[in-house]
Amino acid sequence: MGHVSEHLLAGYVAGGVLPGDQEWAVEGHLEKCGQCRARLAGAAGPSVTDLVGGVWAGLEPHLAAPPQPRPRRTVAWLRGWATPVMVPWLLMVIAVGALAVLLDQIYDGSRPSFVLLLSPVLPVFGVAASWTRGLDPSYELTAATPRAGLELVLRRTTAVLTPVLAVLLAAGWLTGAWIGFGLLPSLAFATGTLALGTFVGIAWAASILIGLWLGALVVPTVSFGGSVLLAPATWPGWLAAVAVFAGFIVFRRDTFTRLAAQH
Amino acid sequence: MRAVDAAEVAPATYGWEIQAQGLKVRVGRNRMAVDGIDLALGPGVHGLLGPNGAGKTTLIRTLATVLRPTNGSLALLGESAGGRLDQRGLRRRIGYLPQTFGYYKRFTVREFVEYLAWLKEMPKPEVPGAVQRAIERVGLADRADDKLKTLSGGMIRRAGIAQAIVNDPAILLLDEPTAGLDPAQRLRFRELLQEIGRDACVVVSTHLVEDVAAACSDVILFSAGKLVFQGTPDDLAAAGGASDVGDSPIERGYSALLGHEQGKDSW
Amino acid sequence: MGVLPGVKSPREPDEERLLRRAARGDRAAFEELYRRTAPWLAVRLRRRCADDQIVAEVMQETYLAVWRAAGSFAGGVAGGSAVGWVWTIAVRRLVDAFRRRAHHAQPPAEMRVPLSAPAAEEEALAGTLGDSVGDALRTLAPELRQVLQAMVLDGLSVRETAILLGLPEGTVKTRARRARIAMREALS
Repeated sequence: MGHVSEHLLAGYVAGGVLPGDQEWAVEGHLEKCGQCRARLAGAAGPSVTDLVGGVWAGLEPHLAAPPQPRPRRTVAWLRGWATPVMVPWLLMVIAVGALAVLLDQIYDGSRPSFVLLLSPVLPVFGVAASWTRGLDPSYELTAATPRAGLELVLRRTTAVLTPVLAVLLAAGWLTGAWIGFGLLPSLAFATGTLALGTFVGIAWAASILIGLWLGALVVPTVSFGGSVLLAPATWPGWLAAVAVFAGFIVFRRDTFTRLAAQH
Repeated sequence: MRAVDAAEVAPATYGWEIQAQGLKVRVGRNRMAVDGIDLALGPGVHGLLGPNGAGKTTLIRTLATVLRPTNGSLALLGESAGGRLDQRGLRRRIGYLPQTFGYYKRFTVREFVEYLAWLKEMPKPEVPGAVQRAIERVGLADRADDKLKTLSGGMIRRAGIAQAIVNDPAILLLDEPTAGLDPAQRLRFRELLQEIGRDACVVVSTHLVEDVAAACSDVILFSAGKLVFQGTPDDLAAAGGASDVGDSPIERGYSALLGHEQGKDSW
Repeated sequence: MGVLPGVKSPREPDEERLLRRAARGDRAAFEELYRRTAPWLAVRLRRRCADDQIVAEVMQETYLAVWRAAGSFAGGVAGGSAVGWVWTIAVRRLVDAFRRRAHHAQPPAEMRVPLSAPAAEEEALAGTLGDSVGDALRTLAPELRQVLQAMVLDGLSVRETAILLGLPEGTVKTRARRARIAMREALS
């Protein structure tokens, strides 16, 4: 790689107009070449040296304060997926899920699976924590940004479903049974809350879906020992529901980028 | 070094950064908070004045594309706002500070501004420098790594201003930004606004008349959803006479245009 | 056997390593970084601003920001140049300084003395600019090159270029367009 000639360097330092494309070439080169920068320092006149010295004198007192600590990269990355408000709810999901797994182990076989019963409603709480205006202090600020909308919905929903998936996998591993079916009702309830939320608001949607969960899943399980809807054979229905809800979410994704007119 | 793409240097497609015609925004079931206004705002600092409940916040929210216009047309930076179209590109060039802006208490100032920079889809290499610059411009450089919950109200609002300016927006929308700032800070803030207003369109909603007089090149008076006056602060002062209510010429102009009468109980 | 004392490892450029150490609070490393980059920065800024007071102010703000935010860079995008980063900070501080002032303290055209033509044998910077690009740039009118330099080399946006050069935005865009067209024609 060639270096800047003495002649050009002297002209550059003096502030003269360099011919043709030399200025471009010189500036681009100096940004990359430490050697030429050192030569420039040598060629610079006393006015530059005084300037540099004066700036350092003004700078020194401020260096007593230490530089800012390094940013915590993993924490920053995590915040892209779940807001701090969601964290307590996600921990609750894990705790309740773990309890359900434990109960299933204790009451092995004699009762319908707690995990299967609880897994649909657990993500509803997480979704509510992600998008309820009352719970999320930064709701308006977030809604006004470019990233608001489908990308943020996908990220937060993934964050909400991950603990549920973990619970299901743990249960499956412990019982040796394939509890993969359990993810479908969870997915359906999560997307259902979001889809309904685009019409009536997430808080109402969550309440409605919890009510549906109680009515259609809990009550039959308690009264009759099982709910028809939780039989593994119903998986096409759940899958269809997920597809429909996802369609609504995509179609009405604008609501996640705006405030409702009532606010 | 960076590449310059054609779109960036194409001739401007708009004459005004913010252009509205017959803009109406409904809030709630029956109320038209913004009732048919025409706006043409270019670079500079525009003050939005008006009584509480006049619809200022609704207007600012609509300009921030957070509320959809009910009627009329709105164009921001030449692009039509309020449709179902993807507004991401437009929003990257807007900065917004809501009146009641919420924040996560455990974030530090730097983390908060960085998080918002990420939400605004700023290119990753630019973020550290831009965040530092925004924090220094609002005077929070020595508190940059303190948690937000340890800061006073005025400092938190300044952190909010920092996130609004971090992406060097072409349109800056501030709703009551000086709440909680002491007079010295308000002075510094006005200098910052004038600096930004050199080449960006800044809209500041405020009820503090002295803010308007000092910082704004242009004043918009808003009442009951309608635009009552638009002009320079001097024009506003000229609209008032000795018989109007107010301690300063601008206040007198304000009350003259809004029809306030001394002693009557209109709040 | 082993590395000679005083020979720095060629793997990592020096300035990045200094910046990383400065991020941990190493004032000596920061001082060394300053020593190596401040003269260059001063000269480069002075070519864009005639007022030494502004240059001093901008430099002080820049290095203070570098000291404070060094951690963010060091932990940031790998492979970025520390010197390039210092320049992006400095040039934006310069634009802000111009925004704050009503007049533009950039060197008036008459003050810039044209350099005497170099001897024919004198080599310029062989290899830094491809010959064709260099030729194309040479054909550009100086005001077009100035705008292109501000946008491409300094990395400024249209609005920032307008402030730096004291031109209306429309003029900046027009000149940039003409420059791009001229470059494309010259290179084809």
